[in-house]
Amino acid sequence: MPGVTISVKGGKALAVTNEAGVFRLKVPSAGTVLVFSSIGAETTEFTVTNNTPITISLGEKNTALEDVVVIGYGTQKKSLVTGAISTVKSSDLDNMATSRVEQSLQGRTSGITIASSSGAPGAASTLRIRGTTSINNSDPLYMLDGVPVDVGGLDLINQADIESIEVLKDASASIYGAKAASGVILITTKKGKAGKFQFNYNGYWGTQAPARKLQLLDATQYATLRNESALAANPGNPLPFANPQALGKGTDWQSALFNNSAKIQDHEISFSAGTDKSSYYGSFGFFDQQGIVTTAISNYKRFTARMNSSNKIKDWLTIGENVTYSYIRSQGGLNTNSELGGPLSSAINLDPITPLVVTDPALLAQAPYNSPTIAPYLERDANGNPYGISQLVGVEMTNPLAYTKTQLGNYGWSHNMVGNAYIEVEPIKGLKLKSSIGAKLAFYGNTSFTPMAYLSATQSNLTSTSFYKAFSQGLTWIWDNTASYTRSIDRHNFGILVGTSAQQASGSGLNVTYRGLLVNSFDSASFNYGLPETVTTGTTTTSARPGSGWESQPYTLSSYFGRITYDYDQKYLFTGSLRIDGSSKFGSNNKYGTFPSASAGWVASRERFWPANKVVTSLKVRASYGTTGNEQSLGTFQYVSTIGSGRDYPSGTNINLGNSPNAPANPDLKWEETTTTDFGFDASLYKHFTLGFDYFIKKTTGMLMSIQIPGYVGASGLPIGNVGTLQNKGAEVELGYVNRIGKVNVSFKGNVSYIQNTITNLGTYAYMTAGNFQASAYEIGRTVVGQPIASFYGFKEMGIFQTQAEVNSYVGKGGKMIQPNAKPGDFKYADLDGDGSITSADRTFLGNPTPTWTFGFTANASWKNFDVVLFGQGVAGNKIFQGLRRLDIINANYSTKALGRWTGPGTSNSYPRLIDTDPNGNFTNPSDFYLESGSYLRIKTLQFGYTLPRSITDKAGMQRIRIYISSNNLLTLTKYTGFDPEIGGSSYSIDRGVYPQARSFMVGLNLSL
Amino acid sequence: MKTRHITYFLIGVISLQAFTACKKSFLETQPDGVILESNYYQNPTQALSGLTAAYNPVGWEVGSTDNTYIPRLGPLNSAADECYAGGGSSTDMNGWQAWETYTLTAAVGPQAGFWDRNYTGIYRSNLMLSKLGNVTGLDAATLARYTAEAKFLRAYYYFDLVRLFKNVPLFTAPVPTDQIFNVPQAKPEDVYAQIEADLKAAIPNLPATVAVSEYGRATKGAGNALLGKVILYENNTSRMQEAAGYFELVNSSPNYHLLDKFPDIFSPDNKFNAESVFEIVHTASQNAGWGTWPNFLANIYTQMIGPRTYTGPTYWAGGWSFNPIRADFAQAMKSDPRYQYTIANVDSIVNAAPGRSYIKGYNNTGYFIQKFAPLAKYVSTTGQAELNFPNDYIEIRLADTYLMEAEALVRGGGDQAKAQGYLDKVRARVGLPSVPVTLDNIYNERKFELATEGHRWFDLVRTGKAPTVLGARGFQAGTHEILPIPLVELNNTKLKQNPNYK
Repeated sequence: MPGVTISVKGGKALAVTNEAGVFRLKVPSAGTVLVFSSIGAETTEFTVTNNTPITISLGEKNTALEDVVVIGYGTQKKSLVTGAISTVKSSDLDNMATSRVEQSLQGRTSGITIASSSGAPGAASTLRIRGTTSINNSDPLYMLDGVPVDVGGLDLINQADIESIEVLKDASASIYGAKAASGVILITTKKGKAGKFQFNYNGYWGTQAPARKLQLLDATQYATLRNESALAANPGNPLPFANPQALGKGTDWQSALFNNSAKIQDHEISFSAGTDKSSYYGSFGFFDQQGIVTTAISNYKRFTARMNSSNKIKDWLTIGENVTYSYIRSQGGLNTNSELGGPLSSAINLDPITPLVVTDPALLAQAPYNSPTIAPYLERDANGNPYGISQLVGVEMTNPLAYTKTQLGNYGWSHNMVGNAYIEVEPIKGLKLKSSIGAKLAFYGNTSFTPMAYLSATQSNLTSTSFYKAFSQGLTWIWDNTASYTRSIDRHNFGILVGTSAQQASGSGLNVTYRGLLVNSFDSASFNYGLPETVTTGTTTTSARPGSGWESQPYTLSSYFGRITYDYDQKYLFTGSLRIDGSSKFGSNNKYGTFPSASAGWVASRERFWPANKVVTSLKVRASYGTTGNEQSLGTFQYVSTIGSGRDYPSGTNINLGNSPNAPANPDLKWEETTTTDFGFDASLYKHFTLGFDYFIKKTTGMLMSIQIPGYVGASGLPIGNVGTLQNKGAEVELGYVNRIGKVNVSFKGNVSYIQNTITNLGTYAYMTAGNFQASAYEIGRTVVGQPIASFYGFKEMGIFQTQAEVNSYVGKGGKMIQPNAKPGDFKYADLDGDGSITSADRTFLGNPTPTWTFGFTANASWKNFDVVLFGQGVAGNKIFQGLRRLDIINANYSTKALGRWTGPGTSNSYPRLIDTDPNGNFTNPSDFYLESGSYLRIKTLQFGYTLPRSITDKAGMQRIRIYISSNNLLTLTKYTGFDPEIGGSSYSIDRGVYPQARSFMVGLNLSL
Repeated sequence: MKTRHITYFLIGVISLQAFTACKKSFLETQPDGVILESNYYQNPTQALSGLTAAYNPVGWEVGSTDNTYIPRLGPLNSAADECYAGGGSSTDMNGWQAWETYTLTAAVGPQAGFWDRNYTGIYRSNLMLSKLGNVTGLDAATLARYTAEAKFLRAYYYFDLVRLFKNVPLFTAPVPTDQIFNVPQAKPEDVYAQIEADLKAAIPNLPATVAVSEYGRATKGAGNALLGKVILYENNTSRMQEAAGYFELVNSSPNYHLLDKFPDIFSPDNKFNAESVFEIVHTASQNAGWGTWPNFLANIYTQMIGPRTYTGPTYWAGGWSFNPIRADFAQAMKSDPRYQYTIANVDSIVNAAPGRSYIKGYNNTGYFIQKFAPLAKYVSTTGQAELNFPNDYIEIRLADTYLMEAEALVRGGGDQAKAQGYLDKVRARVGLPSVPVTLDNIYNERKFELATEGHRWFDLVRTGKAPTVLGARGFQAGTHEILPIPLVELNNTKLKQNPNYK
């Protein structure tokens, strides 16, 4: 076979086989051991004895079964794993241009749904393993080399440092007990290996642009529609815009917003070396991403450094350490998904008639540009012309360029150090005692300056400047002690693990604001300026230097755990674990929780009776059952009655302070509990295919909810109790294919997951509201028994009344008109409760914001020195609520969808008539008018690489040089009409003007010395 | 490897594990900046703050389960014959509108505000009574006084509950967690008996007068007046003399006398005047903003009853036009000397000069409440204007106790001359001549003397006149003498709704 490397054992490569599989080399001496190695083949050694031609056959390496999987507190051979554990290896992550570890996981394995909260650089994602586990906290537990990392600090991890990510989806997570109900993600970083010194450089440079812009009206269309809408509401009044045609195209606000060549770059240097006694690994990384929206205030920089080493000081004593440092500096002074102002929402709602920059003298002579009190505070462009201020659209909407200027300089920063040190002793063979101390120390904060500026009549600060700085710190330490023993007797292999763990987390912060500094830009502001104690504006006197602080409540966790693994001849497999967790957050009656699990597997293909066949070359059937807890949903001291303040009462001329208890105590308060049952199998088929399948049922009980107590108890607050239950059911499939077709190596990996989430008990609550829409009196989502969590809830529209006759004939019982005040062009709403009128009771469930299907695929191919990677992911089954246009702003702009509005019988059955007052509630009623399908398929990465031939690299003294071009987010196939169908975060699947993800093109380089 | 090494290491690791895992105190954390109920009420300062919290609900203007505006006067004035509910539209403060039109249901009405306020007060009073005994450093006199104040407050809250709802749960200690849903409604007689017992126990230990810094705290006079009022409301003719006796303790006390000028009673410049027996205290010094919600200490009702978007002299510009005075009531009171101090004729002010205007709210009549009106001179300059009016509400004042004693004496067949004397004093204060002391005249005097002070509805109900006076509005005898129990209180509890309410 071609491409086989032949080297002297322990030395460098001598030759590579050619296409015919022939090689020729000069051997130093007889007795030299030659090593033949190739990807996907068993490495074979051969001792040279004489000069005769030799033929070597390399067997196929079934690497899948040889792989080692990281499970909690240890590793296990993949062939022996009985739990549902998905793995992502560094080879999958290399060169993938992702900035956060959640993005690295998206679409790579089954069972995980990830939605980025926005496309802003450094934006976090919402990650759900096997569905939403709880109505409270559903974030998985992230462990970085055994140290827990909070979700907010995840971006300190540089993807290039990751060796593998294991996702524990079922009872295999029970070893982590009270924090594992939403799954556990174990991130293992690269470590040094025995071998000669390795030096690598990986980097890429690229440019990003928005993948999609919204289609909004131009000035003429806008004026026409506004005229129509105003006329419908007030037929007698003059039209707001006398001559729409003369307005031309007007301003395209989105063009002011977007940067079509935002830069992105990433560089990483790593080096490692080792002997069989000790090894080390170090790396430095630098990542810099500009945002595609208002780049000057949207960007992200990260610098990471890491060092780890492992030293076998004696045969029985190993010590090691693992330390990461990262520094992040980012600017993000804009709303990333909000209708309440900010550049995106402003660009969507501002009228196109207002100019971007005012140069017309006639306009400059009008208010507000000519006002002597305001003119000095207008934001201006480089030529001194003021940015346009809309006289039609107000409230929070402002000129995006002007807004950007007021946020310049504001930034957030963090220094993070995560690491651990361990000592491992092996007093007798098979018995390992290990003690490891880990910690995460973070210092973080932000600095911002608010200038005096006039952005609009309602968005102006003409009183005083303020300069704000916040400085916080957080520390988590964890101390694990484990003892593990493995032994094989005949064909019985067993291992025992026992251990304890203790954790503590704390934090505090301070901030100060300086009011009234006589400067007007971030760069000029400083805390070195002296200020008096108070500042007086008008008749109000306030502190000039207010400050405040916070301290976190103490939090501790104490655990014991144990695990037994057993297999007979690698055929019959069993794993059982038990964890006991005590948390300071648990009520006094339930201080410790117990989390057992058991899983078993049967490798049917290793049975003697298994017929040798070419179809199923290996088959493992497995099942697991276990309990985990969701301690993260609890706050501190929720189980006791605390004393609240503010219950004051005046007497005479004083105010007396009053204190009384808040909610009644609940000493029974404890963790939410999830029980998972999983059945699955892993199989190798037809030599080239691997197939994995899982079916699971996850039941969550004891979800924390406020318990409604009657008012006659007189309490000031509701106690929290373990009340609700929900269920997630689903199936996952993972398919892999590796082959060599002719001269081309191909591999394919795909995964599909299906999940069905249902709320089963909400205690005394008939429903909980989930999701609001601007100022509508109606909520847009409800969490209700029998439906998925936060299901969209609203009216059902059945088309549009085309004629008055249709309005008249829409009658209920008794022949009374159901919508007597409706006019042609209004929505016809379904009278779901049959009471003859449209009321709040006529609302129903309209869709699921969480996808039911999640899928992803990676296809690799390589031919000679060329390689190509195609990676795509997508979701299906969810709806997105698109609420971009502000209904309370009469003059807000419309999307081009409005051009298809109803203007007469037969003109539209989906977009109602425009009328300012909207008496039928066509726009103010949440209905399926606002819902669109959120399904999408995204080509996330397409990369072409070329590895320079050995002849060239050898001359340069390098081992490998690869250059590549790559594109991220190349293509998104979706019916969704907004910026981006991937909307996570707190406004999940609710689009209020989300910062879209960028499409990028990059050139990269991999170097190995 | 040497066995010795193995042993040492095993011992080392095992003891390491024991060290971390076995410290139970590791999980017992102390809150930072948060006090546990079990650690509180340890010293006199904490005891006083607990007692203050028991007073706090008397001044509630916003909050409750619906998190809305809950001044006592708003709904009470809407339900009687002095005012409409008013506001911006027929659904503004929907609960008040429902009471005005007697379309109350368990879900719609002002009941939640009253229920929550009074039961929160009862809980905090009960809590203090259970904790006061264990406070170290509290001398006997102060302990007795605080106990008396807590009992006074508990009686005050139960009185409001029993006359508004009649069938209410009764407890004298905080409800244990396992009993929360098992509490039954008590018989009204039992509630009245508890109220009387509490007041009788409290009065001896309440101070006759309080220091200036304590104005607003319960006094002996307040206790006596309340006890007399409670007995009067029980409508037991044989006990009228008893009621009169308690009133007399107040009316003959040298600590109280009628003010010479009627409008002085209500002025924020005259807080804690000689006519005030029990005063609900509000303050402008909180400098509250909207973020202070719901812990306002000012009088929010004042803002609510001002004319809406008003341009003109005397009054604050941003009122919400609630409780406009009914035209027929204004007409009836026109000739009374108290008219101009009770009713603000905003229409005539606005028509008097150009440039003045106001927006006519729902059911506008042009007449607004004057006693608690938001006057421009009291508009706060340091806090949010709507949220910092200083007007106190005198719940029990001397003119009221004079008239109640007169009524008790007449109904109980007591000293008629004394009754006549009190009626005359109230009338003479405003220059009205004497009229015979009949029940009708007394009730008529109450109607005008105490107009818009939240007593009219109770007077109409307890005297049986409500069906006649309010029947045209929808008042049904046998149903509307009490409010419905709030709907949420019936969830999973043992409470039964009041008759005829759904």
